Amino acid sequence: MRWCRRAVVGVFLLPVLVLALVTPGRPAAGGAEIKIGTVLPLTGAFGSSGNYFKQGYTLAIDDVNGAGGLAVGGQKYHLTLIVLDDGSDGTRSRSLVEKLVTDQHVNFLLGGYDTSLVEAQEVVPDQYKIPYVEGGGAASEIFKRGYKYIFGTLATVYDLSKITMNFLSVQIADGRLPKPLTIAAVWENTDHGKDYINAVTDEAKAHPDLFRVVLNQPFQLNGSDFSPLLQQVKASNAAAFLSDAHLPDFITMHRQYLQAGLYNQFVSYGARGPDQKGRQALGSGADYLVAGLWWTPALKDAASQLFTERWKREYHETPDWFQALSFETTRALLTGISNAGTLDGPKVRDALARLTLRSMLPGGVIKFQPNGQVATPYVMVQNLPGNAVQIIWPPNLPETRGATLPMPRP
Amino acid sequence: MFTAQNLISVCITSILTAGLYAIMSYGLAVIYGVMKVVNLSNAGFLMLGAFMTMVYAQTLHLDPIAGAFLNIPLFFAAGWLVYVALVRRVRQALPIASLLMLFGLWLVLQNLALVVWGSEDQSIITRYTYKALPFFDYRVALTRLIVFSVALAVMAVLHVLLNHTYIGKALRATVQDPEAALLAGIDTERISSFAFGLGTAFAGFAGGLMTLLFSFTPDFGGPFQLKSFTIIVLGGLENLAGVTVGATILAFAESFSVLFMRASLQNVVAYALLVVALIVMPGGVASLFGRRT
Repeated sequence: MRWCRRAVVGVFLLPVLVLALVTPGRPAAGGAEIKIGTVLPLTGAFGSSGNYFKQGYTLAIDDVNGAGGLAVGGQKYHLTLIVLDDGSDGTRSRSLVEKLVTDQHVNFLLGGYDTSLVEAQEVVPDQYKIPYVEGGGAASEIFKRGYKYIFGTLATVYDLSKITMNFLSVQIADGRLPKPLTIAAVWENTDHGKDYINAVTDEAKAHPDLFRVVLNQPFQLNGSDFSPLLQQVKASNAAAFLSDAHLPDFITMHRQYLQAGLYNQFVSYGARGPDQKGRQALGSGADYLVAGLWWTPALKDAASQLFTERWKREYHETPDWFQALSFETTRALLTGISNAGTLDGPKVRDALARLTLRSMLPGGVIKFQPNGQVATPYVMVQNLPGNAVQIIWPPNLPETRGATLPMPRP
Repeated sequence: MFTAQNLISVCITSILTAGLYAIMSYGLAVIYGVMKVVNLSNAGFLMLGAFMTMVYAQTLHLDPIAGAFLNIPLFFAAGWLVYVALVRRVRQALPIASLLMLFGLWLVLQNLALVVWGSEDQSIITRYTYKALPFFDYRVALTRLIVFSVALAVMAVLHVLLNHTYIGKALRATVQDPEAALLAGIDTERISSFAFGLGTAFAGFAGGLMTLLFSFTPDFGGPFQLKSFTIIVLGGLENLAGVTVGATILAFAESFSVLFMRASLQNVVAYALLVVALIVMPGGVASLFGRRT
């Protein structure tokens, strides 16, 4: 019977232990509390990025709590962040968001990471009329479904791809890349990837004298081996290689790209390349890659520099856009709540729709469009040897320098 | 793009990939062959093999190839222990018991790795990671060539072990008929623990070698598990030589499929082959030749 007793004790103890792990510190006795919930991929394929988001959310919330709490309608509220791990699984992600609302009774929601997981989560906020602000899903499809309670601080991937093509057209005009530029484009088979390839093909159709897409292939998200696909990239003899990939796929694909001895005059993996994790995993193999980003520590404006220094002090590492966006996403939500002067979901939603927030993101302002997504400009960067990153676009920034193109052969 | 050069290039890629696929599937085939146990924890040991190789590289500055070899005794001992402590206890029960237990073990290993190393992508970069060798008009990744050569060498060693040593002959006898083997005086219990150790050692070894080609996380191994199942089913489940044939079929099918269909459907090839093999050729390619190894 001893095992039976142990099992019974285990059954009762386990939920207590789990609750102790997931429930963060309680507010001071007598203080009012705002519960903010988020479901992130802390494990699984998107574990690295999910943990960055957790850090960014936590830092922004700690800042407010450290200053005495969030002022809402003349009262100070202590903020409690409840983070659950979906293991990078869409089905679990959606049910955990629902659980946050029904079991944990959160007042507001911060978004998950990656387009596919945000898409899985986004049905819940409208159901319960709880505002949800996310900085981890950029596909325009997220904001085409008519949801009223979803706000996103990432500009659309279509714009990312379009600015890349605009940048390429200038490089062609400057004689750094051949005309017409032959392009091998591969993209993850998600709404994220579809946005990317749509802009590539739209621009190629609009400027047939500049661009010729010679390979257009989707690939499975979280793939393990891209060598057959890269074989086709090689066979296409394209001058430029464009790939829309998330961090794990970028690392796997570019490693195999280099191992296969491939070379293109221009290589970009969408928003990947300068990520610290990617550079650690690929070493010098990531040098000279070009990326379009929502933010970069290479920005020299005071707010970006302050954030970068702060992050380095706090976490002893250089922040990427993940951390900056998660921090700014939290600020946007909290400002919306404060502006509304109430915890009422619909009123906070309206305040978010009207929000104009000074920000470190390019453009300097977070302002949601009627569909809930921002339209902040992108910056394009190029990796340089020695883990350096150089802003190469737009030309009007004081820190912008010319790109090294064609890319040097490895 | 059906140019001759492209087709030859795809063939080279397929052959090199087949080496990788074979080496990651031997362990699964050895264990199934002897015990009729589907070792779902194979993916966990594959992942652990990669992480241990990273630890050797970081602490002992050991090359991944040497690290993979160092994994062999370590993982053999681990596999032996797992058999004695866990698998032996459920072997006589319904197959689902061992299946679930080994699935549980995989999850435990995965979470253990998560606690120790976190969820971030890890990788090992050596002086030759990005080297490609010229081969006529083609360029061949040196790392793939290394993995392929090692797979061939391992196959040769396995052949000698199975055909020219007592333990190898005993193992083959147990695969063919456990009861007859027992009657012939073979300690099938010891052979089983040896087989589980050997299979696990293969997983650790393959995991170590795979760090030459891939970055890895605690989830590493999962996507390769399905491919390994397909390979051993194609090969005839308990046929070790069939593993090489199965690996070659899958590698060629995957590589050539990209010429005809979207690359995003690449995994469908493995699923489709698995289903077709189970329905049309349940004995695998070995059944075509009417013999077991």
